[in-house]
Amino acid sequence: MFDNNVFKENTCANIEEAGKIIGYELQTNITYYRGIPLSMVDYIKINEDGKEVPVENIIISIDREDWFTLHEAETVTTYKWEYGEPLYIRVLKQGGLSKGTHKIKLTVAVRTAYIPVPLEGIKEREVVIN
Amino acid sequence: MAGKIKTCVSLYSLQDEYLNKRMSLGDIMHFVKDNNAEGIEILPDQMLKGSPDISDDVLAEWNRLIAETGLTPVITDVFLNTNLYKNRKLTKKECIDLLIKEIKLANKLGVHLIRLVSMIPYWVLKPLLPYCEKYDVAIALEVHAGMAFDNPETQKFIDEMKSLNSKYVGLVIDTGIFCKKFPRVVANYETAMGTSPEIFNYVASLFEKGTDLHRVLIENNFAFPPELEKAIKTERDRMFAHLCDGYENYPYEVLDEYMPYIKHFHFKLFEMTEEGPEYSIDYKGLLKYLHEHNYDGYVSTEYEGNRFRLPGKPMIEKEQVAKHLAYVKQCLEEIQK
Repeated sequence: MFDNNVFKENTCANIEEAGKIIGYELQTNITYYRGIPLSMVDYIKINEDGKEVPVENIIISIDREDWFTLHEAETVTTYKWEYGEPLYIRVLKQGGLSKGTHKIKLTVAVRTAYIPVPLEGIKEREVVIN
Repeated sequence: MAGKIKTCVSLYSLQDEYLNKRMSLGDIMHFVKDNNAEGIEILPDQMLKGSPDISDDVLAEWNRLIAETGLTPVITDVFLNTNLYKNRKLTKKECIDLLIKEIKLANKLGVHLIRLVSMIPYWVLKPLLPYCEKYDVAIALEVHAGMAFDNPETQKFIDEMKSLNSKYVGLVIDTGIFCKKFPRVVANYETAMGTSPEIFNYVASLFEKGTDLHRVLIENNFAFPPELEKAIKTERDRMFAHLCDGYENYPYEVLDEYMPYIKHFHFKLFEMTEEGPEYSIDYKGLLKYLHEHNYDGYVSTEYEGNRFRLPGKPMIEKEQVAKHLAYVKQCLEEIQK
């Protein structure tokens, strides 16, 4: 139902810090119709060219300043992921994505107020790294 | 003597325009005004950043837009994040504290009514009542299809509401409980996503017989009847079949008993058809009933067809809202001469 919100187009790119590529980043809108505190992100999965990225290599942020692992995010209640604003997701991986075309599949699930199961959205995109 | 029924738009109706930044909150409010609605309904968590702890800037912008458009801020739609944490549910005190914040926010926004989402527990009412009185904000539980009058949680809320008997506690009715036909936009979308059409043929046949899946499931001890089992071919079918109970086919008379407590209506909009009326719900009939029962609150257009846009098709939130508002206005002019 909210698949269209997942994985904003043209947002996936390698991230360079201090001259080194530390991984890659992508953005997603929320799989819900309202904003929620970060603690209500139930899970995020990234599949890179058919392989699941280990959860501990994924960090998230709403402002690109303060980053949380998914485990840390479980207690983050004062940072709100607003409706209409992206969540920034990074995969920490030395060298990032190699040059060429990749298939990146993002799964985002959030807990909601009255629906017993988390609302999940999935989107796979072809990402070209030049 | 009762006053007149008034029009309203829930900004939920234009959520895709907002999400994709084609329209700002200001654009949306002006759009609603330009289409001659009298009031607006807002989900603070959707379009007011930082809710319920909004900044002075967000509040100033809201006040500016209300002054500029002249729209009446009728109601805020409030949720309760009981599952804020992964490892536990919120305590009663935590729940009540969150809702007190929402009452204070409504008061700041100039709103005197809160819609509490379905399944909010009845025990919040007594502790919240002093805050409702102090801030002049009523709280009303949403009665939504699939979780309506037969639901035990809704029933407990209604019992508590009746025993408190305060003008600050009531109900919001979502008209998805008055579907005369199963929404075809839902069936078309789900079929396109891979659900077997036989499921919808069966569910649609129940509406033709004057009933619905929710009622049939209750009558069948919550087991799927054989005709539905026969239509189910995949796991996806089974999962979606459960969701088909979120559209009900009550007679309007179910409201007779509750009219004194009803504060607001969500006029659920699935699809305005080419010919004019809404595909599933007979709004003229419902408005006649409400007028005859002296309802004089707001009826709020809540477009939900946006969830069921077929891939590759344009989003038509604005067109649908404008058409529905025009239709409701035309009905009201006829009925409230």
